Parts: sequence; C-alpha cells; structure tokens
Amino acid sequence: MTHSTPKTEETPEIASTKTRRQLENLGCLATFVVGVIFLIGFIVLLPERPDGPRYGGAESEPHSGGTFVFQHESNVRTLDPHIAYDELSGMAIRLMFDGLLDYDFESNLVPSIATQMPTVSEDGKVFRFHLRQGVRFHPMPGLPEGRELVAEDVRYSMMRLMSKEVGSPGFPFYSAIEGAPAYHEGETDDVPGIVVIDDYTIEFRLTEPDQTFLNVMAMPFAYPIPRENVEAHGSEVKFHPVGVGPFRFEGWERGVQLTFTRNDHYFRDDRPRPDRMVFLENVTRELASLRFQNGDIDTIHRQSPSDYRFYRDSEAWAPYRVEFPRMSTFGIGMNCEMEPFTNRHIRRAIAFSLDRAGWSRARSGRMLEAGQILPPGMPGHDENLAEAQRFDLDIAREEMRLAGHPDGLDEPVPFWITGQDDTSRQYGELLQADLQQIGIEVDLEFVSFATYLEETGKPNTVPAFFTGWNLDFPDPSNFIDILFHQRAIHEQHSENRAFYRNDEMDAILDRARSMTDREARLDLYRQANAIIANDAPWAFTYYPLSMELWQPYVRGYAPHPVYSEDYRNLWLDLPRQRLARSLAGRGTGVPAAFFALPGWR
Amino acid sequence: MMDPRAWKRFRANKGATVGAVLVLFVTLVAILGPFLAPHDPTEQFRDTLINDDGTLARPFELAGHLLGSDSTGRDELSRLLHGGAISMLVAYFATALTILIGVVVGVTSGYFGGIVDTLWMRFVDLLLSLPFLLLAIAFKSVISEATLFHLILLLAALSWTRLARVTRAKVMQVRQLEYIQAARALGMTHTRILMKHVLPNVTGPIIVLGTTLVARMIIFESALSFLGLGVDPPQASWGSMLHEGQQLMVDSPHLMLLPATMIVVTVFGFNLLGEGLRDAFDPKD
Amino acid sequence: MWAYIARRIFSASIVLTLAIFLVFILINEVGDPAASTLGPNAGPEAIADFKAKQGLDRPLMVQFASFLGVGRCVREASPAWSEDDSERGYCGLLQGDFGESFSHNEQVASVIGNRLPRTLLLGIVALVFELLLGLGVGIFAALRRNTLIDTGLMSAAYFGISLPTFVTGPIFLIVFCFLYGWFPLGGYGIDAADHLRHAILPGLTLAIIGAATYARVMRGELVEVLQSDFVRTARAKGLPASRVSMHAIRNALIPIVTMIGMSLPLLVGGAIITEKIFGWPGMGMLAIESIANLDSPVVMGVVVVFAVAVQIGNLIADIAVAALDPRVRLDASG
Repeated sequence: MTHSTPKTEETPEIASTKTRRQLENLGCLATFVVGVIFLIGFIVLLPERPDGPRYGGAESEPHSGGTFVFQHESNVRTLDPHIAYDELSGMAIRLMFDGLLDYDFESNLVPSIATQMPTVSEDGKVFRFHLRQGVRFHPMPGLPEGRELVAEDVRYSMMRLMSKEVGSPGFPFYSAIEGAPAYHEGETDDVPGIVVIDDYTIEFRLTEPDQTFLNVMAMPFAYPIPRENVEAHGSEVKFHPVGVGPFRFEGWERGVQLTFTRNDHYFRDDRPRPDRMVFLENVTRELASLRFQNGDIDTIHRQSPSDYRFYRDSEAWAPYRVEFPRMSTFGIGMNCEMEPFTNRHIRRAIAFSLDRAGWSRARSGRMLEAGQILPPGMPGHDENLAEAQRFDLDIAREEMRLAGHPDGLDEPVPFWITGQDDTSRQYGELLQADLQQIGIEVDLEFVSFATYLEETGKPNTVPAFFTGWNLDFPDPSNFIDILFHQRAIHEQHSENRAFYRNDEMDAILDRARSMTDREARLDLYRQANAIIANDAPWAFTYYPLSMELWQPYVRGYAPHPVYSEDYRNLWLDLPRQRLARSLAGRGTGVPAAFFALPGWR
Repeated sequence: MMDPRAWKRFRANKGATVGAVLVLFVTLVAILGPFLAPHDPTEQFRDTLINDDGTLARPFELAGHLLGSDSTGRDELSRLLHGGAISMLVAYFATALTILIGVVVGVTSGYFGGIVDTLWMRFVDLLLSLPFLLLAIAFKSVISEATLFHLILLLAALSWTRLARVTRAKVMQVRQLEYIQAARALGMTHTRILMKHVLPNVTGPIIVLGTTLVARMIIFESALSFLGLGVDPPQASWGSMLHEGQQLMVDSPHLMLLPATMIVVTVFGFNLLGEGLRDAFDPKD
Repeated sequence: MWAYIARRIFSASIVLTLAIFLVFILINEVGDPAASTLGPNAGPEAIADFKAKQGLDRPLMVQFASFLGVGRCVREASPAWSEDDSERGYCGLLQGDFGESFSHNEQVASVIGNRLPRTLLLGIVALVFELLLGLGVGIFAALRRNTLIDTGLMSAAYFGISLPTFVTGPIFLIVFCFLYGWFPLGGYGIDAADHLRHAILPGLTLAIIGAATYARVMRGELVEVLQSDFVRTARAKGLPASRVSMHAIRNALIPIVTMIGMSLPLLVGGAIITEKIFGWPGMGMLAIESIANLDSPVVMGVVVVFAVAVQIGNLIADIAVAALDPRVRLDASG
C-alpha cells in the first residue's frame, strides 16, 4: 500500500505471471486466515489464572533439606554487619550471623550466643554476659574447619564497630560504653568499658544506666565476627562474611542473587532446616507475585495492589498467608521552624483533614489508621489516644480558622515525597485531594531517598515531607527520642526532621531514659506520646499492614515481630514438593475468555 | 508551496490516507477530549468507584463512569480524554521546538559552513554518543520541580540532532544552486536569501521528519512515564496511565490496554502519515 | 586506511571527552552521594572521610582530570594515592581505572564486567531475532513485490515499528510466561542454557521494532537493486534467477551492515525498559539503580562504555561498508 513502485517491470516469465499472482493471492489469504485463527485460538484458549498454590505439601515430621527461595525488590548493599543499616542487608546478615541476644516471637529478649540473660549490677551500669561453649565460626581463610567463638571475639567485634575507620552507622547506639567516644575519636587505643573476664565471660561497663543497652546488644551491629577473616580480606570483608549463624556464605552475584549453604555446626535448635537458601535481588513486586504463584519463589512479603486483593480473597491461599501490622509508623512530617508550619493550628488542621479511611480504601485496606507515633503492639501505645488525630473536616476547618486562614493558604506548599513509583504517586495524589478540602494546595516534589535523607536533615530546608519510621528495637525510645527530642536536631543529618522543640517533653524523655522501673518509664512515654499527637509535628497517616504468603510445602514459618524476614524453625516438605513439581509441569490450563473485561480471574 | 503532483501522489497512497485519518482522530480527541470528559480527571470517588473490598469499578458497571475506575477511584474515561490532551500537547510542542532548534542549527551550519558548521556538527556527534534515556533520567533527577514545560524542553533538547543533520545536508545542496550564487553576487542579505530561497527548499524534508518526530515524542514521553518520570501528578498522560495500569495488569488489563492502544494507534498513524508524505515529496525513494 | 582510522579515533576521542564532561557535570548536580551511601546516621566525620576517600572534596575540574587520568589521583581509596602530592599517581580512565562504586563497594570495572556480558547476551539474542525476522521478511517481500503478500508483510512491519517495548513487554510477560507458562518469568537464570532460555522473550520484545525496521529497509534496498541496470543485464545474459537474487541481496545488504554498526551502542548500553520489565540484570538496570543511588562512578562508567561503543560502532560501520562496496574509499571521505 505504501510502497507503490511503478509496475513497469519486465521479467522473463511474463506468461506465467497472472496465474502466479492468483496463486500467491490465494496463499496469502490462506496464511492470513490461519494467522487469525491462530490468534483467536490463543486468546480463547488463554489459561485462567490458577486460583491456589501450584504445589501441595504433606504432613510429615520436620526434617532438613531442600532449597528455599525468597526475594526482595531492591538489592543488598553489604554483608558486613558493622556497616549494614538497611532492611535488606540485615535480612542476608541474619542468616549468617548471630548475636549474644535475640528476640523471640513475643518481642522478648532471649539469650542466643549467651547462655542466659546477662547479670546486671545494682546501679544498672555493669552487664556481665556468659557465652555458650562450642559455638563455631564458619570456615575461613587459614581455618578450613572454622574455630570456636570466645569472649575475645566479642570484644574485637565491638571495638571494630566503634573504630573510626570502619565508620559504622551503629556507633551512636553504643556510645554509653565507658571509653567508647574517646576510642571512636582515636584518642585512646582501648575501650576500658569492655572487659574480657575469661574465654566465656565478658563484661560491659556503662557511664550511665541505659535501659536500651540490652536491645542494642541484640542489634546486628553487635554480631561477633572473627579477626582472622577481617585481616585476610581487609576492606573486601563485606564480600566474605564469616559468622556463627545457621548458614554459610556461598556466593553473591551482584544485583541478582545471594546463596547460602547450611552450617552443620550451628548451635541453636530452632534453626531453619533447608540445605540451601537463595535470596533473589531486584525482583519487582509484580514479577515476584507471578513467580510466587508459579512456584518459583517460596515466600513473598510484598504484593502489588491487585495481587494483594487476589491473595487476600483467595480461599485456596488462606491457610498459607498471614496479615499483621508492621512495627512502623508513617505520616506527613512538617518542619515546625518553617512557614506555615510554625503555626500549630495549621499542623493540626492537616492532621484532622486526612481521610485515613479513604486512603485505606484506595490501598485496598492494607493499612491501619494512625493517630499517634507509637504503633499498636509497641510498649507505650495508647488505645485512648486514637482521637487525638483523626479525620474530621469540621475540626480541621476550625483549626484553619484559629490559624487565621479560614479560606486556606494563598500559596501552594511543597511536600516532598520519595520515589517515583506508583505507590508514592498514589499517596501524593491522595494528600493533594484531602488538603484541597481545607484550601491548601499541595505541590508534590518527587525526590530520591538519598536526597530526602540529606535535605530534610537540614534546618529550614524542607517544609513538609512524607516520612516514616521502622523500629530498630521494641522500645518507645527508638521512636520518640530519635524522632522528636531536641538532641536529634543538628546543622545537618538531624533525625528530628520536623525540627520539633519542646523543652517540657524533652525533660520527660530525659527522666525516662535512665529510669529502671518499667511501668513508671512507660507512663512517661505515654505522656510524651500524647504531647506529640496533640502538637502534630507529624500528621500521622497509617501503620502498614503486611501480608506474608508462603507455599504449602514451606512449614514452620511465622512472621517475626522485630525482624522483617526471619526463617527460624522453617523446614521444607521436600518429597511432596518434588513430586508435585514433576507431576504438575507447567502449561495450559482451563480455557477462559480473554476479553471479558472483568479480568482474568 | 506544495507541488500539486505531490498532493496527487499523497492522495493516491492508501496508507497515508489511513494515517491522516488516525492523526486527525487523535488530534480531535486531544482538542475536544477535555470538553467531552464527563468528570474532573483528578476527582477521587473513593466511596463509589472503589468497592468495600478494595476492588475497582469495572467498565460498563456504573452509569456515568463508562470505563470504570482507575487505581485511585478516578473516572477512567475522563482521565483517558484528558491524558490524550496532555500527551498530544507534549508531543506537538516538543516537535515544534525540536524543529525550531534543528532548523536553526541545520540552516546556519549548512549555509555558513566553516567553523560554525564544525562546532555544530561536533556538538551533534557529542549528543549522539550519549545514551538518550539515561540522560533524560539524569536530567529529570536534577530538575526537582518538573513541569510540562520542562518535559517538552527536555524532549526537544535531546531529539533535534537528526533533523539538524538532514536540514544541513539539504541546505548545502541548495547553497550550490546557481540562482543562490547569483543572489549572493547581487548583494542580497543572508537573511533574505535564507528566508526566500533556502527555507522553502527544506520545508519538504522537515514536514516529513516532523511527522515521524511526533510519533517518537509520544513514545519518549510514554517511556519516561513508564519509568515514573513523566508528567506530575495528579495530571495524567497516556504514558503515566500505562505505567499505573501495568501493576494492575493481571487484575484489570483494560487499565493498561486502553492507554496502550491509544499510544500505538497514535504512533502508527503518524508513522503512516510521515511515510506517505515522504513518498509524496520524494517519489523515487 | 590506517591514517583514516587514526584521524577518526582522534576526533572521536575529543567528542568522547566532551560528552563525558557533560555527564560528569550533570551527575554531580544530582545530589550528594555521601548521605545516600552512608545512611542517615552517619556523622559529619564519616561523611568528610568518605568524601576524602573518593576525592569528592576537591574542585570539580580537579576531580574530572583525575577521573580521565590526566590529572593526579584525588581518591584516597585508590592504590595510586599518596599523602605526598608529588608522588601521587594516576587513577583514571587512561589507566583503565573507572573508580570505585559507592553503593556496590566494588570497582566500577568489575560491576560493569558483571553486567556487560548479560546485556550483550540479550542484545545478541535480540539482534539474531531482528536479522532473522527482518531480513527474511524483507527479502521475501521484495522478491514478491507488489503482491498481496508484500503489502500484508509491509503493513505488519509498519505496525511493528509502532509497538513500543513498554506495551509489548508486559503483555508478553503475562500471556506467555504467566498464563501459558512457556518461558521463565523474568530473571536471568543459573547456567548458560538457562540464561539463553531467559533471554528469548525479552530478546523478542526488543527485536520487534528492529525487525520491522530491517524488513522495511531490506525490502526497499532490494527492490531498488533488483530494478538496477546490472541486475537487468545479468538477467538478460541468462543468469539463473536464484544467482541473480543472491547478487542482488549481497548488494542490498550494505545499508543493513551500517545499521547493525549503528545499533552496537544499544547492544552494550542495555535496554533500560525491557530489562526493567523482565527483571534482566544488565547495564540498563544498573544505570537506573545507580542514578537512584547517586552512585556517580557507576553512572559515569555506563556512559563511557556506551559512548565508546557509539564511536566503535560508527567506525565498524564505515569500514564494513568500504569492504563490501569497492566504490567507497575511506581515505577520501575524511
């Protein structure tokens, strides 16, 4: 049609041209018809989305073996426990390392490498740990059989964590240890607060009582590593992790996957039982959901909205899913030192204008409405405080009137939001629609997480921003002190990104910090919690609900309240899975109409 | 300006006619769409278009919301109509700007030659040796407050190279013609020669290239949107709707397939039209 | 010939330097990598330390000279670094040193060395599809020109050109991988055969536009050659039709070779969108990840590889055309 070249061609076979043309036309028509039939066949025979799991499981006794595959949508940055401070690296590190203390499924601290909880002195400043005997490091250069962990390893690791060269982001958590700041600054060669009593006993001395010291000793920063391995690999040690954990490091293809093999010398009984763990990096949510359903991946913890609804409503998946609130709080941070948020009434107006139920609808109900900084389940969370921040347009308009802006603000206000994906876009649009109701025009600025961290940490830079906090350890100080105390305000890298200053509340927090009576301490935190909710440096939006799914042959799995992925007790129902895999195959299923627009379900 | 034989050739070309009809159609959609849209494309019907279980209203389910809901409870039909307007606006303006830059560069460099030419052409080489999409992503990260205007500017700034090269070649050809040499000898000013004799000669190839450029702009805008770097919310473009629809692909395929179809139809139309114009202007090719 | 190549390399290296400079400025405008690399709790000392290690505290021009390898090394992390200014060595591109990735804690060269083969594999699979489909369709259509078959195939090619990867990719993925289960659902696989199996569908997605383009160009060229004098002469002399066609095809391939040369940069630069859709961990994915992480050394590395590939591709195209077509003299064409 477009290539209409002149038809003045003289070929030797002129005579036969006409019949050939006809034949060709016929052939073309036939090809066309076959093609159309093929296409229609394709569409009509399109298999329906399988409703349930592809592979089943059997009722057998817990046993070892098999390969467990899990994934994340981003990539691991480092395998050095002293450096890692992101969720993903933590996931990988916890497979290979173990600490003196750990959390059980009720968020209680329990001994791990330690034989029992440490003895604490009267004044709350001296902690003595007794270590298990026979805890072995994985094989490492020069030590093909590994070697036993002793108290000196714990001391060495803590010193490495505090040294300036390593530059651990976790150092501030341990600055209460006697001599730690001086050692960090390079003024001394030793930390007098860490004392090795004998091979299986170690003591920590603090300059002041710290109620969170045991919590920080359970953080991955405090996981012991062997000196020999650090010396053998130097700065490359982050690619050659050696710990005492249930799995040994096998390999890491950057950006693709990490593999781990079973450590036969692991000392705990509640270990994960597979022979091999495969951690796939950079798998998008959409892809992960599809691969999970095809049985390529054994568990998923994040889903795209439509997949979330699919799994939530599926009867067949019901026994293999769990939904629970994560220990995180999200909200809109407002810089209390910048216009218009210097005005408390504006901040409160925003807190009362957010239609949290509507947000929840738009997100398929994957959240709990939030009205205070401490999420449900966190000590200090106050059920009675739910009214302090809620959706009520009348109150919101009244607050705008009190603020002196009954008709709203004249200028659009920039709100920062991280990421460029659909989720952040959707949240931005929800906020825009809500604040329009009280006459505030939202000017969304999409920035990278790095820019957000950098700029919101500076005074007088970012007026308002989407923000959130994920717990490090289950203690209210990990939310309130870090996010709202004036101590967390600096010229840059402030964690108090709202630049909220309240001397009265800070006094309460300071009193709580060194207090040993748990109930009295929590009472103080409840007070602080209420002050924040009413002053609204953040307009709290939601506590995320997390849905985790696993294949039927994955057994013994339960979500952990502190760690986002924790596979202790997990085992694979291997024979049945293999059987299922060989029987089920992959391929066409039941015919389904493709374009009956109500979807493929 | 257009020679009548070209017009005849163009009309005889069935593909070009189909292309012209498609282009006319999407352009009309873009112009009239915002007036035809039944709802405000940014209004969120959180209670009516999103069901209690979180599922979205399907097409033909609710009167008044013909194509159902998008991912945030907005009227899909209105968004599609408004999105078309934005997509086409970006594409047309970016093309116009590209042509402006390309012609200025191509004409100056072809007509004056020498150092001007060398500098411009080295700059073209430089731009061509950089990965387009990567550059666009980096630029978008630098501009924190990206408006439609920035998007248009970005697309144009990265796409004028080919047009400049073609214009330059044509101008160099024209420059050698005797009557231009004569005009010069007669003391005509450069501006006058350019306006009167050179520009009319390059119009043909520019129209042809410009038509296919619109198709490329639609694709680029959609590609940027697909990576989440397109127009700012709550605005919609076909590209950003495609991006949003992709994650609901299994559940509600129409949310992706509707904007995708519009994009493909538009691109197809402009490509056909461009090819038809090329044949018409330059029959031996 | 050699003089020509030398001249080309010289002018290419100037263009390259300027292009790299442009991106260098741009990427340093994007943001401060220290905060993104070290995380929220990093103190001012750690940040200062990081900047010193990577030379980020120096003036931009000095950093650029060091990056190229014409100025002394400014990165304390580099083996070429020395406290004494006069003893400092060089650690830039000229020394084959791309620097160290911020987010990967690894040499950029090794990060790219990891990703490049994958992108190449995908690119080659796509190219094979493009050539098989494109040339096949093009030749077939040209030999049957002005028939319904020709019209049908060329209309299909037209439509193919208008099908962007971000439309076809997700549809292919859902239909062929998920619902039919014929191909693996994204990813890269574990061994050579598996890699290939994973590459087929993204390769096909990438190949559609290319194949359609090749088909159109091939048909156009071949039709022209078939109508040229030498083909008529050959036919008149009674050469068998098949041999005539072979000769004609050979001649029509010249512009195709140029096109293949021009597509080399796309082969190594990675297909950002296709890689993202199929979760293929190649250069394209690396590029977006690195921009998001403000990992400027890696972004620079990707850009350098791409820019070099553009120049090499152009050079190869020119030389190949000269080899195929004796009428072209490289030395004359400056």
